[in-house]
Amino acid sequence: MMRGGWTLPVLCVLGFVFLYAPILSLVIFSFNASQLVTVWGGFSTRWYGELMRDTQILGAAWISLQVAFFSATIAVALGTLAAFVLMRFGRFRTRALLTGMVTAPLVMPEVITGLSLLLLFVSMEQLIGWPAGRGMTTVTIAHVTFCMAFVAVVVQSRLAGMDNSLEEAAMDLGARPVRVFFDITLPVIAPALVAGWLLAFTLSLDDLVIASFVTGPGASTLPMVIFSKVRLGVSPVVNALATLIILAVAIGVAIATWHIHRRMKEARKD
Amino acid sequence: MIQNAHAASSRPWVAETEPPFLRIQKVTKKFGDFTAVDEVSLDIYRGELFCLLGGSGCGKSTLLRMLAGFEAPSEGRIEIDGQDMAGIPPYERPTNMMFQSYALFPHMTVERNIAYGLLREGVKRDEAMSRVADILKLVQMTQFARRKPHQLSGGQRQRVALARALVKRPKVLLLDEPLGALDKKLREETQFELLKIQETLGITFIVVTHDQEEAMTLSTRIGVMDEGQIVQVGEPAEIYEHPSSRFVADFVGSVNLFEGRISVDEKDRLEIDSAEMGGTIHVGHSTSCTLDQKVWYALRPEKVRLDREEPVGEANRARGMVEEVLYLGGQSIYKIKLDSGKSVKATKPNLLRHEDDAISWDEPAWISWGDTAGVVLTR
Ligand SMILES: Nc1ncnc2c1ncn2[C@@H]1O[C@H](COP(=O)(O)OP(=O)(O)OP(=O)(O)O)[C@@H](O)[C@H]1O
Ligand SMILES: [Mg+2]
Repeated sequence: MMRGGWTLPVLCVLGFVFLYAPILSLVIFSFNASQLVTVWGGFSTRWYGELMRDTQILGAAWISLQVAFFSATIAVALGTLAAFVLMRFGRFRTRALLTGMVTAPLVMPEVITGLSLLLLFVSMEQLIGWPAGRGMTTVTIAHVTFCMAFVAVVVQSRLAGMDNSLEEAAMDLGARPVRVFFDITLPVIAPALVAGWLLAFTLSLDDLVIASFVTGPGASTLPMVIFSKVRLGVSPVVNALATLIILAVAIGVAIATWHIHRRMKEARKD
Repeated sequence: MIQNAHAASSRPWVAETEPPFLRIQKVTKKFGDFTAVDEVSLDIYRGELFCLLGGSGCGKSTLLRMLAGFEAPSEGRIEIDGQDMAGIPPYERPTNMMFQSYALFPHMTVERNIAYGLLREGVKRDEAMSRVADILKLVQMTQFARRKPHQLSGGQRQRVALARALVKRPKVLLLDEPLGALDKKLREETQFELLKIQETLGITFIVVTHDQEEAMTLSTRIGVMDEGQIVQVGEPAEIYEHPSSRFVADFVGSVNLFEGRISVDEKDRLEIDSAEMGGTIHVGHSTSCTLDQKVWYALRPEKVRLDREEPVGEANRARGMVEEVLYLGGQSIYKIKLDSGKSVKATKPNLLRHEDDAISWDEPAWISWGDTAGVVLTR
């Protein structure tokens, strides 16, 4: 080994410590018996019990999950449609403009997106009476608008990588265009749809700024509740909640890894 | 040989015993200002295996795609079995296409890939499956029926693609460089299989290729394309022995071209004064040309005789120096630099395993050929 070969491992360890020490301390303090977040008072699962009784947090989590589920699903449908039109309908005149417009929300500051959507909802309510008030519906619509852009980009790149002649071959074999889309295009781009859905779900679950603008009374999302709680001082209940979320994410990642690993092994076996 | 398979009785393009099955009439395709296919007219008969031969970018695929219905002609008319194809979408045409990239559906098994067309046609599932089994047997892929395309080798994929296009028994089968991805040996085997299948099913094949040997082996007739135009149509031997232009002569096989001017034009013989040849070329037949016209004399390398001593009796001869000898196994190619400075290629079969006395490079040698060996070209 070269002299000084230890610098790289040490840097590596430091990097990981930097990344994971905060998370680790959060997990540890979620089992703290003491009310004070920074003082260790012995091991206890007290805050988990309290979390289960905290209807405000549980309600917000339920709202967040619903919003994330619906907005991800709608965003996948609309985003796929947009990507398909942009990729497959040749070079129509407004194509460049449309591409720009579809992807603009990716770079738009959230504050502006949130504010403009709020103005839209308010004026729509005045004009046509819908959406009546603000709440889950408006948050979902708002999330669809920005998640759609991400989905469109993901799907577009998958469509670009897809061999055009697949669709032509299906048509040549007697399938009408709609049939071709459902039989061939959709299955081939399915991985992109799954990826897009997961991305949209996560983005929606994560969003604080836009939701704060367009939500109404009784429809606070989880990030909003956590944020407002933390402003009053970090509560150990939030630590417990965060630990549960980390656990869920870890399990999700583990399942995904295992799945990919199995797929690869299968592919090698054949 | 292959030529015998298409016996004289089955040559409707010679005797016009039946109407053409597929008519392409003055078809032009423009992409913006660019003309990809330029006023192509072709008549193709039932049961033919017609090869479209041409260099890269000459418009072969575009022509094929217009037959399949993926592109609409800018001008002209396509007729299949008496039916005008204008405005008929691909999914309603009596054609099937085998794509250059095979275009197998990656998420379906071999079986389902092949059954797809039949099911879209409304064939019952049981019947479809039995037809799939039949065609799998024909292309010798039965044991791979349950595999996905990514689990197959290139040659196997190609056979699945062929089976998928064949199973619907189209009136016309279009094949875009069907054997492009195969190695030489597999390619030759598959060519014979393709011929066998074509003769068994009697389907009209149109094959695009840029490989002139492949075109020679497979086809009843060849259409040579250049820059969007069909420059010559004919049977393989006709294209090879009677090319109509320098382009065709050069594209199909190897050729020596001598530029010259007609100096004697009689009923059954010509003389060409050629500086490149360093004298006069005697031709034992006449063509439509006028005295003093600029022409090219095309001579295939295998028609050139090579000797050490000045040969007697041949109508044409010239002296030169052997510049290069390329050993190809079955034959050798000699490059001879004539006294006029022109390089001429001659091939010679390697009949003996060791020929100690073989003519080799830097030796003076004579080339000679008879007065019927070459062709006079005016273009
Ligand atoms: N959609 C298109 N738009 C513009 N130009 C095109 C289009 N399709 C083909 N061309 C042009 O038309 C010409 C003929 O293309 P084509 O694909 O028919 O060539 P080809 O003879 O099949 O060549 P190859 O042997 O390389 O496949 C090419 O110069 C190509 O660039
Ligand atoms: Mg091509």
